[in-house]
Amino acid sequence: MERAARRGSHSAWLVTAVGIGLLFSNRAAAHTGTGLPGGFVSGFVHPFTGLDHLLAMVSVGLWGAFLGRPLIYILPVVFPALMVVGAIMGMFGVPLPPVEVGIALSVLVLGASIALSFRAPVWAASLIVAVFAVFHGYAHGKELPSAADPVSYSVGFVLATGLLHVSGICLGLLNERPHGIVVTRSAGAFIAVIGAWFLFRAIGG
Amino acid sequence: MRGGVVPPALLFVALGLALAFAPRRAWAPSLLALFATLAAFAFLPVPQVWLEWIFLGCWTSVIVTAASVHLVRGLNTCSAVALSLNTGAWASAVVCLSGSQLDLLKALPWVLIFFPASWLVGRHASIAVKVASSWVIAIAVLAATLQMLPVTPGYLPDHLE
Repeated sequence: MERAARRGSHSAWLVTAVGIGLLFSNRAAAHTGTGLPGGFVSGFVHPFTGLDHLLAMVSVGLWGAFLGRPLIYILPVVFPALMVVGAIMGMFGVPLPPVEVGIALSVLVLGASIALSFRAPVWAASLIVAVFAVFHGYAHGKELPSAADPVSYSVGFVLATGLLHVSGICLGLLNERPHGIVVTRSAGAFIAVIGAWFLFRAIGG
Repeated sequence: MRGGVVPPALLFVALGLALAFAPRRAWAPSLLALFATLAAFAFLPVPQVWLEWIFLGCWTSVIVTAASVHLVRGLNTCSAVALSLNTGAWASAVVCLSGSQLDLLKALPWVLIFFPASWLVGRHASIAVKVASSWVIAIAVLAATLQMLPVTPGYLPDHLE
C-alpha cells in the first residue's frame, strides 16, 4: 500500500516536471525553412538599418518636395526604377566604381542640394537621382539573391524605400509654413555633414 | 521559395491600380472576367515543366498591367476586361504550379485596392497611384531577373521540398 502510494507520488512528480518543461521549452525550429535570412520583414527593415541609405532616400523625397511639380513625383518614380537597374548589375556582378563612395556622395550631394536650395532643372535632378539610385541598388542587389524568399524581400524593401521617399515629401511640406524652409534647409545641411563624414570614411580616412 | 501568395497578390495589386484608371462601367465586367478566369483555370492541369515560363509570364503581366496606368486616356472597357482575363489566367497558373488554392483566396482581396486608388484618381491625386505602380513594376523586374540567375539560394529546394 505504502509502496503504491510512493510510486503514485513519483509519477505525479514526473508528470509535473514534464509539464513544466513543456511550458517553458522553445518550439521546435528544426524544419521551419532553409535557414537563410530574408523575407518581407527583413526586406522592409533593411533600409531603416543603414543610416546612409535611409538619409539618401529621405533626401530624395525632401528635395522633390523642395523642387515642386513635376519633380515631387518624378524623383520617387525615377529612384526605384534605376535602383532596380543597379540591383540587376549587382546580381550579375557587373563592375562599378566603389559603391560605398557613390552612396556617401549621394548623401552629401542630395543634402547639399537641399541646404543650398539648388533649383535643378527637371533633367538634371532626374539624372542626379538616377545615378545615385544605381549605386544604392547595386549594394542591395548583391545581397538580394541570398535571401530565403527574394520576392517577399523585394516587396518589403521597395515598400520601405517608397515610404522613406514619402516621409521626405511630408517633411518637405514644412516649406509651406512660416520659417519651415529654414527647418528643411537645416535638415539638408545636417544630412550633407553626415554625407561628408561617410565620404571621409569611404575614401579611407 | 518563390510561389505562394506573393506573385498572385502582386498581379491583383497591379490590376487594381490599372482598374482605377478605367471607367466605372468597366469595373463589374472586369471583375466578373477575373473571377470567371480564376474559376476556369483553377481546374486546368498545368505541366510542371512550364514552371519557369509561367513565372516569367506572371512577372511580365505584372509589369504590363502596372504600366498601363501611364496610358494617356486610361483603360477602356475592352482593355480592362482583357487585362482581367490575363491576370486571372497567370494567377491561376502560378498558384497551380507553386502554391495552393488557399493562396489564391488570400491574394484575391488585394484587387480591392482599386477602391482607394480610384478615389485618389477621382480627386486629381493619380500621381500617388502612378508612384505605387512604379514600385510594383520595380518588384516584378527584380523577381523576373532573379529567375535568370544561375544560383539563387532561396530558390533551391531544401531537404523537405
